[in-house]
Amino acid sequence: MRTMRFYLPGICGYGLSFQLDGFRMVFALLAVFAWTMALVASIEYMKHDKHPGRYYFFTIVTLLATLGVFLSADFFTALIFFEIMSFTSYTWVAQTEKEAALRAADTYLAVAVIGGLAILMGLFLLYHMYGTLDFEALGRLVQGAQPTTMRYAAGVCILIGFGAKAGMFPLHIWLPKAHPVAPAPASALLSGMLTKCGIFGAIILASRLFAGDEAWGIMILVLGACTMFIGALLAVFALDLKRTLACSSVSQIGFITTGVGMCDLLFGEHALAAHGTMLHMINHSLIKLVLFLSAGIIYMNTHELDLNKIRGFGRRKPFLKGCFLAGALAIGGIPLFSGYISKSLLHESILEYGGGGWIKLLEIIFIVSGGMTVAYMTKLFVTVFVEKNADAALQERYDTNREYMKPFTAAAVGIPAAGLLLWGWMPHRLMDRVAELGSGFFALEEAGEAVHYFSGENLIGAAYSIAIGAFVYLLVIRRLLMKKNEAGAKVLVDRWPVWLDLENSVYRPILLGFLPTLFGLLCRIFDSLLDGAVVLLRKTIYRDTPLPRYYSEGNALTRALGKVLNLWRDLANHTWRRSHPVEKDYVHLLAIKSDEIAQSNLIITRSVSFGLFLFGVGFCLMLFYVIAGDLHF
Amino acid sequence: MFGMAGMSPVRLLTLGEGLTISFAADELSVFFMGITTLIWILVGIYAIAYMKHEGRSGQFFFIYALLYVVLIALDCSANLVTMYACYELMTLVSMFLVAHNRSREAIMATLKYLFYSLCGAYLGLFGIFYLNHYCRDLDFGSAGRLDPTALAGQEGTLLVVVFLMLIGFGTKAGMFPIHGWLPTAHPVAPSPASAALSAIIVKSGVLATIRVVYNIVGADFLRGTWVQTAWMSLTLLTVFMGSMLAFREPVVKKRFAYSTVSQVSYILFGLSLLQEQAFTGSLLHIWFHAIIKCGLFLCAGVFLVVCNRRRVDELYGIGRKMPVMMWCYTCFALALVGIPPTSGFVSKWHLAVGALESGAGFFSWFGPLVLLISALLTAGYLLPITMRGFFPGADDRCTDLAKKEPPLLMLIPLIVLAALAVLLGVFPNGMLSVCRDLAGLWL
Repeated sequence: MRTMRFYLPGICGYGLSFQLDGFRMVFALLAVFAWTMALVASIEYMKHDKHPGRYYFFTIVTLLATLGVFLSADFFTALIFFEIMSFTSYTWVAQTEKEAALRAADTYLAVAVIGGLAILMGLFLLYHMYGTLDFEALGRLVQGAQPTTMRYAAGVCILIGFGAKAGMFPLHIWLPKAHPVAPAPASALLSGMLTKCGIFGAIILASRLFAGDEAWGIMILVLGACTMFIGALLAVFALDLKRTLACSSVSQIGFITTGVGMCDLLFGEHALAAHGTMLHMINHSLIKLVLFLSAGIIYMNTHELDLNKIRGFGRRKPFLKGCFLAGALAIGGIPLFSGYISKSLLHESILEYGGGGWIKLLEIIFIVSGGMTVAYMTKLFVTVFVEKNADAALQERYDTNREYMKPFTAAAVGIPAAGLLLWGWMPHRLMDRVAELGSGFFALEEAGEAVHYFSGENLIGAAYSIAIGAFVYLLVIRRLLMKKNEAGAKVLVDRWPVWLDLENSVYRPILLGFLPTLFGLLCRIFDSLLDGAVVLLRKTIYRDTPLPRYYSEGNALTRALGKVLNLWRDLANHTWRRSHPVEKDYVHLLAIKSDEIAQSNLIITRSVSFGLFLFGVGFCLMLFYVIAGDLHF
Repeated sequence: MFGMAGMSPVRLLTLGEGLTISFAADELSVFFMGITTLIWILVGIYAIAYMKHEGRSGQFFFIYALLYVVLIALDCSANLVTMYACYELMTLVSMFLVAHNRSREAIMATLKYLFYSLCGAYLGLFGIFYLNHYCRDLDFGSAGRLDPTALAGQEGTLLVVVFLMLIGFGTKAGMFPIHGWLPTAHPVAPSPASAALSAIIVKSGVLATIRVVYNIVGADFLRGTWVQTAWMSLTLLTVFMGSMLAFREPVVKKRFAYSTVSQVSYILFGLSLLQEQAFTGSLLHIWFHAIIKCGLFLCAGVFLVVCNRRRVDELYGIGRKMPVMMWCYTCFALALVGIPPTSGFVSKWHLAVGALESGAGFFSWFGPLVLLISALLTAGYLLPITMRGFFPGADDRCTDLAKKEPPLLMLIPLIVLAALAVLLGVFPNGMLSVCRDLAGLWL
């Protein structure tokens, strides 16, 4: 397909540039399709919500931002729309304003902000090194040159940002928390489309900046392997319908990331990996749209997501059952369904790279994760659509509930489900051609050879996965994760250790506890350095001269006596003179008295009379002395 | 710019040989006068409504108008001596804004403000005496007035002097170590005064620094010296320290005050790199920070007098009651964090790219890293107010308020500032070319 470019100069100083090629067109159309379906489903889902206005507003803005990311032609444009998307989608997570939702939204925002800043740092470095942020120009500039430490640093920074959005290990923490609490149509978009924006960045890195670089490819593969295995494991243990789906998203992102890593390692002959990656992205978007919207319908009716409570909800609902099954089979990689095609391609690309040791290990993880996918989807399907609820009355209510959705909601789930089936049945006529559209974006030089999807090798791979899935389902889920409750019915129990929550046991304590405390203390010391010095000086050499003190009236004797009398007065006022209290201040009274006395004394002592009086006294004393002496001798 | 540059200075007084009090408007003057006037008008409108709650509005507006005159004089000073005189005058006049409500707390804060400002200014004065000897003259408008013959052999001493001057003028700009007045003075001043202090007064420290470094001493004299290294370290420390303390501060106005400490040091960091693009970023950030921080303090004023709320945790649910105002707040918050496409993003982009281009070794990549960590902390201390304001959940603390926006006189300046904070980021080219021209003059 012809590539079109569009440059909007001056915005944010650097200008926005957009590009339209096959890959971007496919994902732009897919985004518009997914948003349309989700919005149609929202009409019924959000009918009783308290704040539908802000939900619709931010949903539309997020669509525009997501399109901006998919159509961007340079990192600058991608970053701008990526940030807008992160902030507007925050409102989805916080929409219900329940405590869990607000907490999950905080985590989501923190991851988004940290990720955005990490990308920004990477962009600074890239811009400094190459003077451009254009994807194609960067690809040409780095061609053939060995990556420097600085390029790796920039790449890792950018990968942190995009990987966090995609839900790559170890930054997948926001996903299993945010999806269950968001409104279901929003979860479908978060999981189906927004994570793909992250993958978009990862593909750019792998196919432009580090094309063919082995170290980078292996790093991506390791991350992909961890993500797909951990996501699947979390999904197997999850008890909540949407949480299972969210963890499944993490796992599927791991598959896609593995594909991106294979693209990098096989660069030059990476047609299989590229096609597999792209098709799995499309598949996953459609599948998660179907599954999350189905979950939304269940939630709309039951207001529950706990699998034990919604058990048996779908037993008599063939349409919903059919849609869910279409999604489940596709994601499980069952032959004849679309997920099988993309997973086969990814599997073949791993085989194509060949080699022993770690690549063998990767293949095993790939197949085991695929098996776990089968297991947890079986768990969901059997619980919701096959088994009966332990509570017979509830089951009865579920079975008689026929008006569980409006026709347009049914259309919103049915159309993508039908599309998914149709698309899966025509691998060569539809899927291969769409995959060809991505060749420009994945920097493919030659068209890939036609793949025999139903060859023995691929079918065996799928069979392994199904066998492992059956094994996990029967032995782990039914034995280990289920037990009989008091009523004798088998229910799922939570066996996932609480301390294994990366967010609560690592990130939050470090980022909200340890680091702020430590640096807060240090900064407080710096902050009060000069203030402290000033205070010290003021307490020592630069002490203020004491304010002039007013000497209190009276003298020590009158004050002491007055205080005693005051105490006596208080005592009296509180006891026997309560009705007619004394309002006198004896300290003051005595002081006045003593002043009066002093005044009089002054008048007396300064007078002539007093002098004469003293003379008289002295004279008398002298006489007395003389007389007494005479007597003695 | 506006054809004002190159005008011969207007001489007012002659103090002694070569020492005159004279004024001239060069490009930088116009740049600073522009933001001063913009902020003064908007804050003035806001203050009409605000001061009804605070009282003594006659006195406030008298000081406010007087301060504007002094600031314009400061911006237009044509030499270092004139600038110093206006600088001191500014401290003395603005002191009355801090002391406005006459409470014991306000008086103590004013004394602290006065003490720190005067200490800082005296360090500057000391430098001026010294520079007078080693410069041809102390006029602004060129890239350095040092006299090489007088200077020969004395470079080491002069570096010490310049460093002291940087610390001295850094006082007003809230640079570590003499930043302590900011978090004390802001919370007690009436909110329009805090807005003016934070947006404009602290920037006069930046102006003085630009004048000394780029006009008198010359960027080349400092490049690569220990003074540059020390200056960069101090600014980065301040950037981090301010954000960290703001992050841990529960009182809204104090939080914003610490935020100013941090953000103004972004500007100083850009200046300390002595690189053209970083200088451009600094100049952009002067305008953007003034607009944003002014807006934030005006919001804090609304919280204070309309809602009677001082602390952050009392603001949960405020967005339900005053959605328009909280949208403005959100714009300011995003812009200050530097989320694209808002204005803070553009200035930080230039600062960081300038840092990387500057060739300052370790600091060239460590600087941007610190700026980003600080941006993360900025998000941590500003965004929760928005988020909990609009999404209080069960913990709504604003149920006692009526759903009513603040009075129009308070709201309109906020809306104008918020629009500027966003639009200047989306369409920065006008500002950018002005700043680039300015940065190209002396580098």
